[in-house]
Amino acid sequence: MRNVKKAIAATAAIATLVGLAACGNGSGDGNANKGDADKAELVFWGWDSGNSMKDIIAKFEKANPGITVKFNNTGTAEKTSTALSNAIAAGNGAPDVVMLEDPTVTQFAVTDGLVDLSEFGADKLADDFAAGPWNKLQYNSKPYALPIDSGPEMFFYNKAVFDKAGVDGESIKTWDDYYEAAKKIRATGSYITNLAGTSNDYQPFTAQIWQAGAQPWKVDGEKITINMTKDEGMQRYIKFVQKLIDEDLVDTKTPNWSDDWNRELNDGTIASLTIGAWMPINLMTGAPDQAGNWRVAQLPQWEEGQEVSAEDGGSALAVVKLSKNQAAAYKFIEYMTHGDGAQVMADTGTFPSLKKILTSDSFTDPTTEANKKTNDYFGGQNVNEVLSEAAQRPTEKFQYLPYNPFAQSSYGDEVSKAYTGEITLEQALENYGKKLAEQGEQQGYTVTVK
Amino acid sequence: MTSNGRLTEAELKAQEKAAKAAEKARQKRIAADEKAERKRAAKNGFSNPANPTRSIGLTVVCAIFAIYCLFPFAYLAINATKTQADFTSTFGMGFGKTFALWDNIVTVFTYQDGIFGRWFINTILYVVVGAGGATLLAIMGGYALAKFRFPGRNLCFAIIIGAISVPGIALAVPQFLLFAKLNLTNTPWSMIIPSLVSTFGLYLMWIFSDQAVPDELLEAARVDGAGEFRTFFQISLPLLAPGIVTTALFAIVATWNNYFLPLIMLKDSNWYPLTIGLNQWKDQASTAGGQAIQNLVITGSLITIIPLVISFLCLQKYWQSGLAAGAVKE
Amino acid sequence: MSQTVGVSPEMAGLHTPEARINKHKADWRGWKFMWPFAVVFIFVFIIPICYAIYISFFKKQMIGGTKFVGLENYSRLLSDTQFWSSVGRVAIFTIFQVPVMLFLAAAMALALDSMKLHGTKFFRISTFLPYAVPAVVSTLIWGFVYGAKYGLVGSFNSFFGTHIDVLSPDVLLAAIANINTWEFTGYNMLIFYSSLSTIPHSLYEAASIDGASEWQIVKSIKLPELKGSLAITVIFSIIGSFQLFNEPSILQNMVPGNAITTYYTPNMYAYNLSFSGNQSNYAAALAIVMAIITMAIAYIVQLKSMKEQMK
Repeated sequence: MRNVKKAIAATAAIATLVGLAACGNGSGDGNANKGDADKAELVFWGWDSGNSMKDIIAKFEKANPGITVKFNNTGTAEKTSTALSNAIAAGNGAPDVVMLEDPTVTQFAVTDGLVDLSEFGADKLADDFAAGPWNKLQYNSKPYALPIDSGPEMFFYNKAVFDKAGVDGESIKTWDDYYEAAKKIRATGSYITNLAGTSNDYQPFTAQIWQAGAQPWKVDGEKITINMTKDEGMQRYIKFVQKLIDEDLVDTKTPNWSDDWNRELNDGTIASLTIGAWMPINLMTGAPDQAGNWRVAQLPQWEEGQEVSAEDGGSALAVVKLSKNQAAAYKFIEYMTHGDGAQVMADTGTFPSLKKILTSDSFTDPTTEANKKTNDYFGGQNVNEVLSEAAQRPTEKFQYLPYNPFAQSSYGDEVSKAYTGEITLEQALENYGKKLAEQGEQQGYTVTVK
Repeated sequence: MTSNGRLTEAELKAQEKAAKAAEKARQKRIAADEKAERKRAAKNGFSNPANPTRSIGLTVVCAIFAIYCLFPFAYLAINATKTQADFTSTFGMGFGKTFALWDNIVTVFTYQDGIFGRWFINTILYVVVGAGGATLLAIMGGYALAKFRFPGRNLCFAIIIGAISVPGIALAVPQFLLFAKLNLTNTPWSMIIPSLVSTFGLYLMWIFSDQAVPDELLEAARVDGAGEFRTFFQISLPLLAPGIVTTALFAIVATWNNYFLPLIMLKDSNWYPLTIGLNQWKDQASTAGGQAIQNLVITGSLITIIPLVISFLCLQKYWQSGLAAGAVKE
Repeated sequence: MSQTVGVSPEMAGLHTPEARINKHKADWRGWKFMWPFAVVFIFVFIIPICYAIYISFFKKQMIGGTKFVGLENYSRLLSDTQFWSSVGRVAIFTIFQVPVMLFLAAAMALALDSMKLHGTKFFRISTFLPYAVPAVVSTLIWGFVYGAKYGLVGSFNSFFGTHIDVLSPDVLLAAIANINTWEFTGYNMLIFYSSLSTIPHSLYEAASIDGASEWQIVKSIKLPELKGSLAITVIFSIIGSFQLFNEPSILQNMVPGNAITTYYTPNMYAYNLSFSGNQSNYAAALAIVMAIITMAIAYIVQLKSMKEQMK
């Protein structure tokens, strides 16, 4: 009896083990899985910061009676992409549609996890989206996701603190102006901003060097060139930030998104932020005491008279290659990003990436309820007007590394040392570049470090 | 004498039976005596016969330690009464401008269509089935290890210690792949099956069975013709009560607070346990364009702890009767 | 001769030879009770471990796919300074945190068991309660306590004019150790306490008749009783602190200067390799090596005495 049971257990164990070992390599052929465009049960992973998914999905299902969508709130961008890579590795349990943060799209495109959306004609939509978010979602010049929101980098500042320091936020046009303002604000005891070099600062970092025209890395097929410190744009950035650190003009102790961060925004210790256009709602709930004091302006420029923007954050919807309902899934993401769903998303506080919405009257109409609430917090300023202008500014082409999650997590390890004063920012970034090169080699790329 | 030297089988059996009954009666008497003694002692305020007085000094020392243990709860309780605005703007150990505890509790249970209630029920399901099963398996396994010398027994120890020395994080991916192969991810089973293993419980029950269940008693029961399972349920289980309660408590808390596994296994928020749900709410504050709802996270955490406190209070009386289990061991 | 009570020792004697015979004959009865645990254990632990060992011989790349590399992952690990620095960190953590925690736990258990306290029930639950708090929440709470600006440490500093920063890199590990001690002292206390509660009352009675003092009772009755549970708490605590993960990774975003790196502990390193580094194979090798190191240390420290206990 016991022997039999033991034998069964052992056999089952070995069988599963063999099964497991065999699984790793399976990846389906995309074209066979288009499925019926009008009839499907879709599974959709993503996060829901505006609490609006339920309504949008209901509308979509009404318009497409054959398709049902099951939304699974997967929490954060990081957790979603982790879950997706696990599901892809397992070869089952993956969703049909997934929401990803823009920089991670390339990674899944490279590893063949996502469907090339030009199969469904998505490439023709290029001109309908703002350039910033659209450009980030291309791999080999093919779109692998459609942008659902975007985050043009903005300059948010606390007018009350600026006034106290005798600084006019509106007149800060260049990073030099910003530096002068930083000194005056420091004299009042506040900091113009916080920079701690943690992994949460990675996205603002890429936005800022992007705006500076830097090319810290170049990916060309299987070749990667890393040029972290000698690139002209990088040099410009390094010199500027090093100056801020050396003169104690930025708060290097407070990491973004910590509770302390909210408290410092709330009590005026941090007087401004350069961050994505999605920030208003975070400010309104995170720094309620400063209602009426915050303002938003265009990002300072490196050269006077320029109008260069950059992207911080932003997310997109993609169709997973393992999906058996790719055609219906595409229909859904088209609805969400380009169709009627996009309008609902914008109405519930997501910052749009569709030009049509950005330029529409209702988007900047100060009398709508949502706009009124935001504008009140910003002292009556028409916030969306400023944001919309930024979203339509030109951006330089910028490419993320195919192993972006690693780039993000090791950014904190290496670059934070510059903010504690252990080493200079140049040294820190050089070390960071070496780390990125190592990872590239581990992943089979040919890496050159300049 | 001669007749006594060669007993027939029937006589032998009868004698054994009588002996066993007598032994049982004796044990019972000892247990009862001790229970009474303990009761009397407890009533008089002391049970340690060598020292009948309570010590103020020791109480003060323990009180300091209790403050260390409890003051973080004061933080939790105070902040559960704050609105989100007060949470970011007022001092952590002081009350906010408005007393929003009831509002917070209501919001916790109504936010996102009342999903918190669903998480609560899920957690209870995982605890009842998962931790309940884990306790049962640990009792049986620990009992087997303590009371039987079966083939492979000596290996068990090394294998189990070896297995739990492997960092759980690194096992998460293989575990996920295995469950995905069997289509178990995103189902309650992916939560329950791994919860069924409580290695710590197994060792605890091993030690307890070793100490609390005398071999003679088992032999006697076997002689009596009782099957192994009957012996286990009727004789051993009652003796193991304090150990079982300890094991159950650990299994309950471990399942209740399990975080990493459901994070990997579950993607359907309808199956989330409380920990994952609360963490999702916490993450919302650090998502671009997300609303900070720390007040709900704090209040939700407080609510999460309450059932554990209740179950602790319900279970703790079993430790006092631990003495009865010890009675048979001399 | 009396056929009842007096016979029982002899009866027991009569049966021992039989029992001994059973031992030689392979006694499978234990598996009747053991198999459910064994089956689930194999499913949840053994198979995934075998799989982890299997994949540790491979390397999966974004470019070039998966290939067999033999022991390459292991040899890379041996010269990986990040890995060894994380091992060193948890080793230091273990050396200091485990003894402090277990001492507190044992002291508390003895105090509770002494019946000398006013309000024993209150102390019992208050010591255990921290264990009931999910790590996510307890780190949130302690993050507040440690805050040098808005937290309790901050208030302390502004009140006394000091400049204490418990999150500075030099003392950070101790700050984490404190969180762990807070969380798990009650857990270990309960194990000691429930083991003390199995001591038969008659032993105390006998001791008091012999005129033993309080300390002698503790020394010669209670402490020996604790030995068995001590062995297993030591082993499990060592394993637990070698797998340190939750507390530092949740604290990561609260600590200034990113003092908690992605390779702060071996487990965090494995997590980051696997989930953001796309190097699950290397992470698997790391896990195997960590398991061997942990086992070796557990063995040196306690396994021998534990094995005796289990005989």
